[in-house]
Amino acid sequence: MTKGCRYGTHRVIEPKGTLPQPAHRLDNTMSVYDNEVLIEVSTLNIDSASYTQIKKACGKDPEKMKQMILSIVEERGKMQNPVTGSGGMLIGTVKEIGPSFPSHKLKVGDKIATLVSLSLTPLKIKQIKKLTPESDQVDVEAEAILFESGLFAVLPDDIPEKLALAALDVAGAPAQVDRLVTEGDIVCIIGGGGKSGILCCYQAMQNTGPSGKVIVVEFSKENAQRIIDLNLATDVIVADATNVMDVYNRVMAVTGGRGCDVTVNNVNVPSTEMTSILITKGQGCVYFFSMATSFTKAALGAEGVGKDINLIVGNGYAKGHADLTLNILRESKPVRELFEKLYL
Amino acid sequence: MKKGNKYGVHRVIEPKGVLPQPANKIDNNMDEIYDNEILIDVQTLNIDSASFTQIEHQANGDKAKIAEIMLDIVAKQGKHRNPVTGSGGMLLGTVEKIGDALIGKTDLKVGDKIATLVSLSLTPLRIDKIKDIRSDIDQVDIDGKAILFESGIYAKIPADMPANLALSALDVAGAPAQTAKLVKPGDTVLIIGAGGKSGMLCCYEAKKRAGVTGKVIGLCHSEKSTKRLQDLGFCDYVFSADATQPVSVLEKIEELTGGQMCDVTINNVNITDTEMTSILCTKDTGVVYFFSMATSFTKAALGAEGVGSDVTMIVGNGYTRGHAEITLQLLRESDKLRKVFEELYA
Repeated sequence: MTKGCRYGTHRVIEPKGTLPQPAHRLDNTMSVYDNEVLIEVSTLNIDSASYTQIKKACGKDPEKMKQMILSIVEERGKMQNPVTGSGGMLIGTVKEIGPSFPSHKLKVGDKIATLVSLSLTPLKIKQIKKLTPESDQVDVEAEAILFESGLFAVLPDDIPEKLALAALDVAGAPAQVDRLVTEGDIVCIIGGGGKSGILCCYQAMQNTGPSGKVIVVEFSKENAQRIIDLNLATDVIVADATNVMDVYNRVMAVTGGRGCDVTVNNVNVPSTEMTSILITKGQGCVYFFSMATSFTKAALGAEGVGKDINLIVGNGYAKGHADLTLNILRESKPVRELFEKLYL
Repeated sequence: MKKGNKYGVHRVIEPKGVLPQPANKIDNNMDEIYDNEILIDVQTLNIDSASFTQIEHQANGDKAKIAEIMLDIVAKQGKHRNPVTGSGGMLLGTVEKIGDALIGKTDLKVGDKIATLVSLSLTPLRIDKIKDIRSDIDQVDIDGKAILFESGIYAKIPADMPANLALSALDVAGAPAQTAKLVKPGDTVLIIGAGGKSGMLCCYEAKKRAGVTGKVIGLCHSEKSTKRLQDLGFCDYVFSADATQPVSVLEKIEELTGGQMCDVTINNVNITDTEMTSILCTKDTGVVYFFSMATSFTKAALGAEGVGSDVTMIVGNGYTRGHAEITLQLLRESDKLRKVFEELYA
């Protein structure tokens, strides 16, 4: 068995010297190096920005979408959307574990979800079994490789695997909210009605307590109503987050002109950076989870309006994020029921 | 005088509803100003380094062509926002007129020499004539006018240093000021792009904050900048490497830190694909501060997750309270720094 690099650089075909994520092409030969895990994949959970792009490009035609996914993986050896740059995650069963893989808890036959992005995971698809344009979960017959540095979660017995996958896909978001939000904070969740938004709202409500405020800005009326029904926010604003001045005026009205301590951006549409910046108090913090965030728009935007705030790049990984997220589904019956309804 | 919006929304021509920075076109008519604006008689533009590098490249270094590209940008947009890099820069000028609503509220008066500290990417600008292009320091002398909005930040040029020297330092004022906030005593700090303008300021500030128990490592690219930084003596280690090669840089940092890696990494290079290097060289409880305008948001976000690093990644904010004072003070404190800045940028 050949010795592999901790970060999987041994799988990079081109360009040489890069890591698997920025690489154009990976070696997806499905025999393991000494520190890798081979996974028999059952479901791919494509990143929402990526899936939306594929859906648009194929005019919602499932056959064309299948072809597009197959050709991306064929060309790159991984499911990294060339337009959005993003990936997603997968569930599968452990088929083989290299002797140098560091976690001794994992055994062959375990059902796991990988928590690293598909944008760096070597993948080989034999066939796509089921794809519907409405759901970003795609059933496949495929194999994948997990690197030594790769994160994973063994799927729990008490939560159905697809439900767990849907939640784990956005596990970073509520975990970061848990770190950022403290009692009495005014928090705004932009795109609060979506999947990661709901989990963020729940966590934010837990952390701010009765003296704080959780404001949701949501585009879809239906999603907004859901947040109201489940009591996941103190204030809900239905608005287009790209319309800076409209959102700014309405958030200022709700906060008595004070703005927010923490703003979490979860929307997967471009040009919402300024909205996030303007509604945040000086010395406050904006957490950008949206993969549609433009670095320069955020950086120059804050300077342009003279705002001394922390702008943070959303990190999909935070220690303990899988447990925290699965616990939300255990703690909150309404959230679990909603997730079952929407994502199963 | 017409009443203006604090953020300058009244100057946006298209698309409607956005702020001046993301707008494609803003109104640069200076014949009449709004009641909360300040009219500036512009002397020098300090083009953002990523932007100037791109323009210079597109013009093949030809000054007449550089002037043409710049005039074209301003003619189309009413501001100098590079359409490729999205970035701007700043300017030096003299206050010519102050809007009625600001009189008594601002500490500025007509005739004050100021540098605007908001980006040119959102500043209404009219260029009447390009007088001189100083390619080596990204500065362009012009005849022209600009508008500072009510929310716009500025610094008065101090009496104890030449205007161009102050301008070149203020241009990157955010970087050393954020370094001052981030670095704690005892920290191991890596500065990527340490030999450049903001890099040198960051190294000086980082060493000051990290103290004798801390360690400051400077990564430079060219041999010349490496030598210069070594001679300045701010860093504990200086080495030359290609920051786009994560694996080799990682090995070097492992060696220098005894496998501990860095508490704080500050990325100042204006080239693409240095996100992973920054992430891998940082402890997974550490902080990466991205000052480079060439940073890709998705590469950083997915990169950290991909290698299972719990690092905090911050988008460089060019503004933080007191940044102009902190930065100008560095030039007063360190004769070596001031000398290098005078030689290179003034």
